[in-house]
Formats: sequence, C-alpha cells, structure tokens
Amino acid sequence: MFKGDGVYMKKIWNSNIVRFFRNSPKTSIGAILVIIILFLTVGASLFTSIDPTNRFDNEYHSPPSNTHILGTTQLGNDLFSQTLYGGRVSILVGIFAGVLTVFLGIIFGISSGYFGGWYDNLITTIINIIMVVPNIVLLLIVAALIDGVSPFLICIIIGLTSWPWNARVLRAQTMSLRNREFVYSAETLGESKLRIMFVEIMPNMLSIISSAFVSTIIYAITASATLEFIGFGNPLSCTWGIMLFNANKSGALTSGAWWELLGPISGIVLFGAGLTLINFSIDEVSNPKLKAQRIMRAYYKVKKAQAKIIKKLSLNNTRMEG
Amino acid sequence: MKYILKRLWFYIMAFFGALALNFFLPRMMPGNPVQMYLSNLYTSGGVIDNATIAAVEKLFGYDSNKPIIISFFNYIGSIFKGNWGVSFTFFPQTVLESTQRGLRWTVFLLGTALIIGFIINSLLGILVAWKRGSRLDTTLTVGGQIMANIPSVVIAIILSITLAATNIFPRGYAVTPLFFAENVFQYIGDIAYHAFLPVLAVIITGLGGIMGMRANMINQLGEDYIVMGIAKGVPDKKIMFGYGARNALLPVVTSLAMQIGFLLGGSLIIELVFNYPGLGQIMVMAISRRDYPLMQGILLMTTILMLSANFIADIAILILDPRTRRQGGN
Repeated sequence: MFKGDGVYMKKIWNSNIVRFFRNSPKTSIGAILVIIILFLTVGASLFTSIDPTNRFDNEYHSPPSNTHILGTTQLGNDLFSQTLYGGRVSILVGIFAGVLTVFLGIIFGISSGYFGGWYDNLITTIINIIMVVPNIVLLLIVAALIDGVSPFLICIIIGLTSWPWNARVLRAQTMSLRNREFVYSAETLGESKLRIMFVEIMPNMLSIISSAFVSTIIYAITASATLEFIGFGNPLSCTWGIMLFNANKSGALTSGAWWELLGPISGIVLFGAGLTLINFSIDEVSNPKLKAQRIMRAYYKVKKAQAKIIKKLSLNNTRMEG
Repeated sequence: MKYILKRLWFYIMAFFGALALNFFLPRMMPGNPVQMYLSNLYTSGGVIDNATIAAVEKLFGYDSNKPIIISFFNYIGSIFKGNWGVSFTFFPQTVLESTQRGLRWTVFLLGTALIIGFIINSLLGILVAWKRGSRLDTTLTVGGQIMANIPSVVIAIILSITLAATNIFPRGYAVTPLFFAENVFQYIGDIAYHAFLPVLAVIITGLGGIMGMRANMINQLGEDYIVMGIAKGVPDKKIMFGYGARNALLPVVTSLAMQIGFLLGGSLIIELVFNYPGLGQIMVMAISRRDYPLMQGILLMTTILMLSANFIADIAILILDPRTRRQGGN
C-alpha cells in the first residue's frame, strides 16, 4: 500500500538471513518441515478439538472419514489428535535426550582431549567399551533392567548410552586445538582450566556440536520409538512409538489398516527429514569444502548455458554455410 | 603382524570390558533381577522361602555371601567354559544354545545386507563424487541420508504394509513352514524369497554410506595422481575405478565396521517386524519375560559378533592397503 512497505520488504528480502535461505533450498525445505511439525504438535489443541484419550463407542477401527480425518484405533481413539498430541511427547523426548547426550559428550570429550594422561585413557576405554556393544541392544537391556519406563527415563537411558559417539568426535577435535597458540596464551595468562575448555576451546567447535545435537535428536526419536514399539512405555499414553506399538498389537500390519500407521510414520519421517536437511546446511556452513558443491552447481549452470549458446551458434553457422 | 596383534589385544580388552559391563549393569540397577524375579513369582502365586531365594540366586549367578569381585571372576570363568546359564523362556535349552539358534539367521541377514549394501553404496558414492554438484548428486546424497535417518522400525513397517500385506512377499519366517524342497535350488530360492524384504530394509537403513564414500572419493579426486592420469589421457572409467575408488574404499571399510553396530541393532528390530527367526525375536521374547540370563547372553553374543566383524575389517584393510603392512613391519 505505502511506498515505505515495499522498501521495507525489499530490505528483508535482501537481508543476510533471507538470502541464505534463498540460496539453499535444502535449508528452507528442512526448516519449513520442522516448523510446520512443531507448530502442529505444540498447537495441537488449535487443530483438533478431540481429546486423544477419548474413546468413541461403536467407532472402533474405522477408516478415515469426515469426523475422523485419520480414522480411529481399535480402542476407538481418534488417530489425528493422537498423532498431534503424541508428537509433542516424542519430539520433547528427542530434544531432551539430545541435550543430555550432547552435554555428556561435551563434558567428557573436551575434558579428556584437554587433560590427556590417565584421565584420557580412562574415558577412551569407557567410550570404546560402550561403542563395541550394539547400542540398541544395550538400550533395551538397560530399559528391561530398570523396568517400567516413562518418557523421562527413556531420555536418561538414551543420554547415558549414546554420549560416546559425540565424545569421540569432540575429543579428537579438542586434541587438535589443544596445542594452538591461543590455548597456550590463555594458559600463560593463568586462566582457569574450566574457562579454557569451555570458553576458549568449545566455541571453535560449535558447528560440530550443533550438527551433533541435530543428529542426536533424530537418533533419540528413533531410539524412543524403537523402545516403545518393543513394549517399553505405557500403552495408554500417547506418543508416536506407542501408536506404532498399538497398531502392531491390533494387527494393523496384517489386516492392512494403513490409516493406523500413517500418522506416526509420516510424523517421524517428515521431522527426521527436516532435521537431516538442516544438518546438511550446518555442515555446509561449517565445512568450507562442502561449499564447493554450491560453486559446482553454479558452474554446471554456466556450462549448460554455454552449451546452449554454442549449439545455437553452430546451428547458425551450418545455416549460413547451407 | 604387529598391527594384527595390537588390534587383537584391543579386542580382547574390549571383550573383557563388555563382560564387566554385562556383569555389573544388573547389579548397579535399582531393582536387582533376583528381587524382580521373586516378586513376579510371588504375584503369580509361588511360595517364597529361603530355598527358593537360594535357587534363584544360583540361577542368576548371584551370591550374597561372596564378595562381588570373586563372583565376577567366577562369571568370567563360566563364560569361557561355555556355561552361559539356563534360559527360562526356552527352558531345557541353555542360553548359549538359544542364542546360537537365532545367531545363524541374524548373521545370514546382516551379512547379505552388508555385502549388497556395501556394493550399492560404493558404486553410488563413486558415481556421485564423479558428478559432484549435479542434480543426481544432490538427489542421491540428500535422499540417501534422509532414508538412513528413518528409524528401522518405520522402514520395516512401511515395507511390510506395502509389499508384504499385499502378499507380494511373505509376512514372516525364514522358510515356508512345512515346506519340503525338492532340491537345493528350490530351498535357496525359498530362503531368498523370505529374506528379500528384511535385507532390503537393512540396506535402506545403511544408505548413509553413500555420503562417506562420496567424501572419500572427492578427496581422492583432488590428488595430483588423478590430475596426472587425466593429463595422460587415461579413460574416465579407469580413473574412476582403477585410480580413485581403490584408495577411497579403504576408509570406508573401517567405517563399515563401526556401522555394523547400528545396522545390527536395526536388523534386530527389522527381524521383529518381519517375524524372522533371528536374534531379534529371541531378544524381545527374553525382554518380555524378563529372562535376564538370556538377555545377558544376547548382549554378549551381539558384542562378540561386532568384535569379530571389526577384526575381519582390520584384516581386510591389511590385505587391501600395503601401507599398513609396512607400518606393522617397522
């Protein structure tokens, strides 16, 4: 309407952040996917008025209809509202487990890389032992030993069994940074070890940490869904994993009741895909080698255009000769 | 040789570490298995007296009179003697027997998927690195990574409901029940038919390997000897496979061994969805019945599987890469 608006819009359009998203379709698609899913799950009550635990009598196992967009379960629960409300718990579990895993990975990884010596040996041994045991099996057995697993406990179990992967990467990175000048100068200045580790060294690894965080969220959602699918977790609660468990229990796989699976599966797949795409762009920003991909893309574009021109020219030439 | 010994030493230490984990884990947990088992027994109407407690403690290898270190050494001793305890899910069978029964199918499934997946990932990785930046590259790397990040449960369920529920592929078992093959080929065909979907699911979860191969290959393609080869006029195919891929494959073999743990965990879950008679089914049965000896046996068995896979990868590297051989000789 106003002339000022257009200028303002142009400013936003050309700002660094928007330009970054424009140049990287991967990031935009990933961010949009994640935002949509977060919006749908966090604001679940805006999109559906049905309580996920409400059981509709005489509407057991019914395929999608107008009243139930995704149909109902064998117990008569509305699947659409279950998907939305269940996503909340699943994503929260993923985020909390991710935070815990990355936190433990940072603490043990950086400290063992920085201190070295017997402490490093001890931590590396623990890391190696945990990494040698198949993670899912360890996860399941710890869950079985604890018995009766709530979403909160699932976070803790995932955190305690999965930190070595992050710790190993961060340890290697710390060891390569450890002998740089800025660390020596900080040591000479008499800064405390804690400050050197977490204020001087850690910020150099923020890209690795954030990428580890994103992939750990994906892993944690996977792991919690797996745990719940196998039967740890309260079958009356509502998460994506529990929905898969209930669908499997009620024989949705054999009877071909696809609507029971559609909600949780698309939730897990789309959220995972969104996070994966975001991870690609984090890698691209932090690793200059990967930027080459963008440059190569531009190169292919130019080359294609050139080929077109050459073709045109040669066509003209043949015409002229003819 | 020195290299092999060094690796072997590491694996032996890791194995003892896993044994220690296996031994101390149940003892560190809030409710110990003996108590849990007794309470289960009690709720199902069993009579609990001192003799029962002693018997259950013996079954689980617990002894409240002995110090924990002594029972740890006893545990290690009995593991090496092949006495892994008695499973009470498959009662007359010992833990070792029941895990071995499932292990065959799991190794078959995982091995087939690893070999096929390795070939597919490597070929695609080489191709994509060669055409880096093209549309094919973006599609395959991004698509592969997204597929690899989908939980194996979900992949198995999707395959199951699209291909198995419509009766294109079987919905369970490793061979058709009550089926007597006329000849070996028919039998092999039947096994392959049943293994197709589970193997496909494991391969899909492993598709992230394309990225690894691609990164290695791109690193190799930047080396001088490749430029030299191109300048000499060596054909593209030879540069791709004979020059670049040979060197790019080495790190992939190492990372493959690391990946086995993830694939193994995934394949256990996939077996469960496809009702395949491998370790995964036995594990879930053990978990649902709180069969602690069997659970520990499976943890140990999968660890041994992983350690041996890593060891094989080490030997493969030794054969493939002359540099490690020289390093070992010094």
